Amino acid sequence: MKTVLTACCLVGAILTAGCMSQEKGITLSVGGTPSELDFWESLVEQFEAQTNIKVNLLRQPTGTNQRRQGLVIALEARKKNPDVFLMDVVWIAQFAASGWLAPLDEYVRKDHLNLDVFFPNILNLVDRYQKQLIALPVYVDGGLLYYREDLLGKQGIFNAPQTWEQLVEYSLKVQSKMRKIRPDFYGFVWQGAQYEGLICNFLEFAGSNGGGIFLKDGKILLNTRANAEALRFMRDLIYTYKISPPSTYTEMREEQVRQTFQQGNALFERNWPYAWPLHQAADSKVRGKTAIAPLPHFPGGQSVSTLGGWHVGISRFSDQKSLAWKMVDFLTSSATQKQLALKLGWNPARRDIYSDPEVLKNMPHLERLKEVFQNARPRPTVPYYTQLSDVLQRYLNAVLADKLGAETALASAQKEAQEIVNRYQAK
Amino acid sequence: MKGYSLKELREAAPFLLPLTIFIVAFILVPVLGTIVDSMYLDVTFLKTRFTGLGNYLWMINNPGFWQSLGFTLLFVLVSVPLEIILGLIFALLLNENTAVRGLLRACVLIPWAIPAAISARTWELIYNYNHGLANFFWTKLGNSTSPINWLGSELGAFTSLVIADAWKTTPFVAIIILAGLSAIPEELYRQAQVDGANLFQRFSKISLPLIRPALIVALIFRTVDALRIFDIVYVLTHGGPGGATTSLSLYGYNYFLIGDFGYGSAVSVVLFFIAFILSITYVKIGRFGEELR
Repeated sequence: MKTVLTACCLVGAILTAGCMSQEKGITLSVGGTPSELDFWESLVEQFEAQTNIKVNLLRQPTGTNQRRQGLVIALEARKKNPDVFLMDVVWIAQFAASGWLAPLDEYVRKDHLNLDVFFPNILNLVDRYQKQLIALPVYVDGGLLYYREDLLGKQGIFNAPQTWEQLVEYSLKVQSKMRKIRPDFYGFVWQGAQYEGLICNFLEFAGSNGGGIFLKDGKILLNTRANAEALRFMRDLIYTYKISPPSTYTEMREEQVRQTFQQGNALFERNWPYAWPLHQAADSKVRGKTAIAPLPHFPGGQSVSTLGGWHVGISRFSDQKSLAWKMVDFLTSSATQKQLALKLGWNPARRDIYSDPEVLKNMPHLERLKEVFQNARPRPTVPYYTQLSDVLQRYLNAVLADKLGAETALASAQKEAQEIVNRYQAK
Repeated sequence: MKGYSLKELREAAPFLLPLTIFIVAFILVPVLGTIVDSMYLDVTFLKTRFTGLGNYLWMINNPGFWQSLGFTLLFVLVSVPLEIILGLIFALLLNENTAVRGLLRACVLIPWAIPAAISARTWELIYNYNHGLANFFWTKLGNSTSPINWLGSELGAFTSLVIADAWKTTPFVAIIILAGLSAIPEELYRQAQVDGANLFQRFSKISLPLIRPALIVALIFRTVDALRIFDIVYVLTHGGPGGATTSLSLYGYNYFLIGDFGYGSAVSVVLFFIAFILSITYVKIGRFGEELR
């Protein structure tokens, strides 16, 4: 018996020692395309050289849902790894409400970090949960209007459309001319397939008419006149004006939209900023012919852009929180943010980068983007947002498929969404 | 335990143990765990508490659940018979003694060997509105000026999914039935021929009864597989248009993704019981195991 006990203690001691020898490191979990991950490797090397903290880079896949799944499993199991990770803006509420994120206020205070450098609307609406700071933005995103300057110029139009009405008018003009040489040409391409992008688009159409998803005191409001008008307009783009392709509600996600525009088959495009460097690439047919502008609005409304982007947070279960904070600090530092902009074309979360001469020289369009981000509107920041989105996606998509009327769809969506609010509202 | 002495049982135990442990650890425990979890309000951002049948009640009142249940059952009802009939025809053809039989058998297996997600991507390109093969044939050979949005209507999306699924899984059915066919001794046919049985009689009186066990196996496999259809829906339609092609697996997956493990488990349990009941029905109806005695 005694020998067994001694053996157990020995093995235990060896195991703990093994763990302890690794203690001086942290695990960082990031995903993305292979080229992005290669860049992360180089960032991590810089960090290690600067701080002498060993970093284990946990490579995640490109797909957003897979990345989320990976993190949810690790955090639900209260694993110590990963210590630091990137989150899509729409996950943060769930992660925070689940108690998975460590508060950062203390570190900010200790390091005298100036939070004013970040976009205040983003920091206040997304990165705070119950008055605590639980994340910091790394990269910001927002919906934009891309347009073909050359084609509009031929019609004597030298400004981007201010209203949706103008967008339809310009589209019809150019489309009828262009169809003669390009039978697949469409006036306006946007994201209408049944997925998260559809909600982002809808919130921009609706928001620019004074609508949106309103959630207050456990009551959800969707079926408003402003929303119905906006939704009917989205449907009309396909069936009445016929300036958006019939495949809008089946195929059109970011990449399909970008490719259609990039092949020269569209006048206007709604997309995220990532499309800009690709449109300017050597093999692009719209290189040098494209400009960006804020999205149009309805009469009496104002342009709205849906906020996207990635944020960094620390796991509550991490046993290396102060080392992990060094990583957060590093990723949001102006040197790293500048690199992310120059190397990956990411839009910095720090406002000061937008006036950096070196960055502006390479990315002149950033000046325009700053305005857009300053007014970008987040999606509802509730932990059960994905479920609301899921319901809404189905009904909005059914309207675009011409299966349901706008009012009927919004009424049913509201009813079903209310059920979800009732289920998930913390009691 | 009738017919076994205690001594025999004691001798058999070590041989049965590994399999028993395997079944308990990898089948029984997870299934029971899922059933238990389905009775909890288990959401990452809420306090976990026991709700009994609460998740199931919520399911009954959820239109999304009924829509996906309807789609899933209809998909099984249409795709499985289609695949069985096509598979049977393929198997009969492949069983003939032709010079290229080996080559044909290998060719037929190719769709089955391709990973589902990849073949779904291929079908996505075929159905693509602007550059797809389907619309190429439709506009060029059909002489139509307007391409069709194949995945755009409920019927279109459903049919497209059935075709993509049938293409991929018919070979599987064909191979199982072919195994059954090859086991039938040649003499039976020759004797029937001597007795004056025609081709159809030989098929219905000899082949069909003797391949019934193989058919039942194919049916069970295909039905259970079709019930939990996920990959091609995930790639091709994402459940659209308007949620019309959201299969039960995709529906449950979406809840797991946001961290509602209790409800996701409840959906899995429902799916499990549907598959379980159908399998038992097949075994009973097909009088599986009574043949060839």
